Amino acid sequence: MSECITKDEFGRMVAGAATEIRTKHVMLSELDCAAGDGDHGATMLRTMEKLEKAFAPGGSDDLKICLKDAGWSVLGVDGGASSSLLGVFFTGMADAVGNDLTEMFEAGLAALQKQTKARPGDKTMMDALVPAINALRSAANGGKSVREALYDAAAAARAGADATRNLQARYGRAKFLGEKTLGHADPGATSISFLFEGFYNGFTSVKGESNNA
Amino acid sequence: MKMKKFINKPENIVAELLEGFALSHPDRIRLVGNNLVARALPKAKGKVGVVTLGGSGHEPGLSGFVGEGMLDISVPGEIFAAPGAPRCLEAIRLAEYGSGVLFIVLNHAGDVLSSNLTMEMAKREGLNVKMTLTHEDISGGTNPEDRRGLVGFLPVYKVAGAAAEEGQPLNACFEIAERMGRNMRTLAVAVQTATHPSTGQAIFDLPDDEMEIGMGQHGEAGTGRMKLKTADETAEIMLDMLLKDLGVKAGEELLVIVNGAGATTLMELFTLFRRVDQILKAKGIKLVRAKVGEFITTQEQAGFQLMIARMDKELIRLWDAPSNAPYFVVR
Repeated sequence: MSECITKDEFGRMVAGAATEIRTKHVMLSELDCAAGDGDHGATMLRTMEKLEKAFAPGGSDDLKICLKDAGWSVLGVDGGASSSLLGVFFTGMADAVGNDLTEMFEAGLAALQKQTKARPGDKTMMDALVPAINALRSAANGGKSVREALYDAAAAARAGADATRNLQARYGRAKFLGEKTLGHADPGATSISFLFEGFYNGFTSVKGESNNA
Repeated sequence: MKMKKFINKPENIVAELLEGFALSHPDRIRLVGNNLVARALPKAKGKVGVVTLGGSGHEPGLSGFVGEGMLDISVPGEIFAAPGAPRCLEAIRLAEYGSGVLFIVLNHAGDVLSSNLTMEMAKREGLNVKMTLTHEDISGGTNPEDRRGLVGFLPVYKVAGAAAEEGQPLNACFEIAERMGRNMRTLAVAVQTATHPSTGQAIFDLPDDEMEIGMGQHGEAGTGRMKLKTADETAEIMLDMLLKDLGVKAGEELLVIVNGAGATTLMELFTLFRRVDQILKAKGIKLVRAKVGEFITTQEQAGFQLMIARMDKELIRLWDAPSNAPYFVVR
């Protein structure tokens, strides 16, 4: 998968992710009640609205501009750390437009890692995001298609999010809860797994339709 | 616990509370730009602007301290959630009166993330901003990064705001804020949870007969969960930890703040303060200034924050300087 992703393809991925979050936002808020203040689902809904708007028909055809707009408006969601971190992620991806999809995701991650010291194992969104992007890299190096790479990434994100159940929060507000965070998956990592599942669904479903046509 | 609050649609809480706050102080407060809380009459040109940010649901913190002698602009976030960088940047642009801006940030993960992003963007724009972080909660451990910013924001806003108002340059305002920050310590205790106004969920669980020392502003767990104690016993335990951590010696001068969390009565706060005063007298420590009341709350959470700060002549002078902030009037 060395080909560049188009604006329309990425727009479909965003739409898929938005559908996924819309279906599952109540569960995200419930997870957040275990170690946070129960508003993560609402924050993610607002985040997806901004993302979709940045890729809405009638907007720019330039992926870089769309991603920059997306990043800036997600930063403005005012939803605490989650929305700021996702805003940084999409802004970082925007700076790498012109490279292939894996390189764009890697640039997003690099931008994020400049802003947070959280790393895999700390029970944060990093526990899903880092494995997902590593899976994209392995798939790309193994010559897999974008579709296969996104499938691997979604599976890796899901496994990473599930594994946060056995972790103790070491970062953000939840770290003050210590052992009380054991047994619940991290809401941030879970959202990331939903995003990647949605990216895959969005990328494939429309392609499937066009194949049938 | 079932939530009983006078609210309308949950998604409109922040906009509606800000509207009501501004309307109730039309001579002093107005909303500018994208729901930023600003002074009705902007500061004179040539003075340093003072800006802060923080989640909503903690009223009168933080926007209640916007006014002459304190803050120029506060950037309120959603309930218990930091505002994003774009609105903070907007506030800093508006608070630039020609001598730079002091950006006061309470140490909480979301606030720090937004602030760091804001600072990067401000530098790119060539804005002259200095950021000071308050982190005085001793329950977080000894590493300053782990210490949260609690009611200590109040003396920092006050002394840095007064310095800015009298025309001191940005570096001096920053140094004063940092000096105040280094010399203060806070400890919080909670006895009863609050509900999140948007979700109706209790933000933590605490058995009926227990209290938790070190509980943060958002129900973050502390370290000392114990059976509920009397006012005197609670004051003794907490003050002892604070005095040790700050290394206060006999003869030194302290400011003490007792801040109610929302559902703890003034009756209780005065009872606690009385014991604090007795202990300080017995130790030969001078209580030079004190405030008892609600400066930052967490809905109907019961509990309080006890803050002590070592004062010097200049800090006392700036603490005493006039302010017309709606929730901190000094004449």
